Amino acid sequence: MISVRNVSKVYNGSVKALDSVSLHIEKGEFVFVVGASGAGKSTLIKMMYREETPSSGQVFVLGKDLSRIRRREVPYLRRRIGVVFQDFKLLEEKNAWENVSFALEVTGTPRREINRRVSQVLNLVGLLDRRDAFPSELSGGEQQRIAIARALVRNPDILLADEPSGNLDPKTSMEIFNLLERASLYGTTLVVATHAQDIVNKLRKRVVELRDGTLVRDERRGAYNY
Amino acid sequence: MRLIGYMFSQAFRSIWRNKLSSFLSALTTGFALFLLGTSFLVSINLGFMYQMAETQMEIQAYMNKEATYSELASAATQIREMPGVSEVKFVSKEDALEELREMFKDKASVLDSLEEDNPLPPSVRIKTVGAEEIPGVVEALKSIDVVDDVMYQEEVSKRLVQVGKAVQYLSLGGMLVVGLVSVMVIANSIRLAIDARRQEIGIMKLVGATDGFVLMPFLFEGIFLGFLGSALGTGFALGAYNWVAGKIAEFIPFMPIVGLDSRSIWDMFGIMALTGVMVGLTGSAFSVRRHLRV
Ligand SMILES: Nc1ncnc2c1ncn2[C@@H]1O[C@H](COP(=O)(O)OP(=O)(O)OP(=O)(O)O)[C@@H](O)[C@H]1O
Ligand SMILES: [Mg+2]
Repeated sequence: MISVRNVSKVYNGSVKALDSVSLHIEKGEFVFVVGASGAGKSTLIKMMYREETPSSGQVFVLGKDLSRIRRREVPYLRRRIGVVFQDFKLLEEKNAWENVSFALEVTGTPRREINRRVSQVLNLVGLLDRRDAFPSELSGGEQQRIAIARALVRNPDILLADEPSGNLDPKTSMEIFNLLERASLYGTTLVVATHAQDIVNKLRKRVVELRDGTLVRDERRGAYNY
Repeated sequence: MRLIGYMFSQAFRSIWRNKLSSFLSALTTGFALFLLGTSFLVSINLGFMYQMAETQMEIQAYMNKEATYSELASAATQIREMPGVSEVKFVSKEDALEELREMFKDKASVLDSLEEDNPLPPSVRIKTVGAEEIPGVVEALKSIDVVDDVMYQEEVSKRLVQVGKAVQYLSLGGMLVVGLVSVMVIANSIRLAIDARRQEIGIMKLVGATDGFVLMPFLFEGIFLGFLGSALGTGFALGAYNWVAGKIAEFIPFMPIVGLDSRSIWDMFGIMALTGVMVGLTGSAFSVRRHLRV
């Protein structure tokens, strides 16, 4: 599903964010990426939806070599990948429903199907009754649930999350991760970069640790620390 | 179909959001197109003037009063055979007097005294195939013995044509400059529109919108601004034309001015709309390339 092969990333010719990282992720896996700040977690995630390309090495996602696909193929790749961020990235002037339906509209999905899917996914994150609320009227946790709904509305093969609970309190964070785990039960492959130690320790998923751009640990049913 | 609706609604929403800059860019484009329209209207009038001038451009060769009938007849034949001559009309002394009489109608009695000793020379009126032939024919006429004097009204028409041409070049030159400015103003307006939607564009791309989908509304927006400009420009040009035509009719009544029928108005609007759309498309394409990184 995702295959990172000997990938290095150098920013601005000097900052080495990733150094010969290799990683293989199967369909339906739930993988935590951990490591200190600046270790290269976000960079690794960005490689997977082709926000960045490797300086050397290859990244295969859904059978495609991302350093070699054409620019105009990128949108079609992204339609099969959901992405969630620490800062939610919701549009302030759109309400909850519109923020989610937006992801289907930009690909010309028929109206009826949009309605069906958006209500489904808002139901999944438990916010169907708040569908008319604007981001400013929602709590951080609720906003992140909307963002997750947007990432899931296309029923993606892969869900990438970069510190999805970074701005949230522990209880709300747990809710978010429960939601992500539920998505993984539906068969979606998850890669989640996080600092949420307790949660990683509690969920006992595969843990990949980066240190200064190198992969130093890859453990099944791992913990945040050794 | 839904997609086009979406593109349009995005474009209109964006124009509405940046009302002032949108209005200014439409206005600038309108001004550039006003100049284009002016040049169009001038060229319509020029064509009309050429036609008028060509039918009116008649050469009059005044013959020697003393010339005998056979001398006149052979001269007439000679003229008829000149290259470029299309029509030759012989006007005898008597014909000339008769014409004069008709011109003065009620005061014709004044001319009675002339009956005895007609001072009017016989003449030949010549029309040429086109205006270009006139100088050659005039030269040839002058070389005929019995021809005393050659007159033609080319000068006035020539002047008019020159003035018209100058106006046309000026407005076309101005249009080029203002046209360039409007491309830039539209480009700037689109840049503002892009900036206002940066975050949205980022998210659109994240969820898999194609480049075309992202940039199309901005191209529509530019095209629409250009089109709006062409409507404004047509309005300005027609207003100015009617005003100027009115003034001319008032002060220079003999000057021919083409009245605009709906066909030429539509022709003009067509040309302007096409140009406006091109200007808008160029401006927005420029901005999209530069600021959208697609
Ligand atoms: N666009 C960029 N330009 C230059 N340097 C960058 C860029 N993005 C990241 N870096 C550098 O690359 C290194 C890895 O950054 P990255 O964002 O991947 O770390 P991270 O593990 O996500 O950190 P955090 O936990 O703080 O989010 C850092 O040294 C960072 O300064
Ligand atoms: Mg990061």
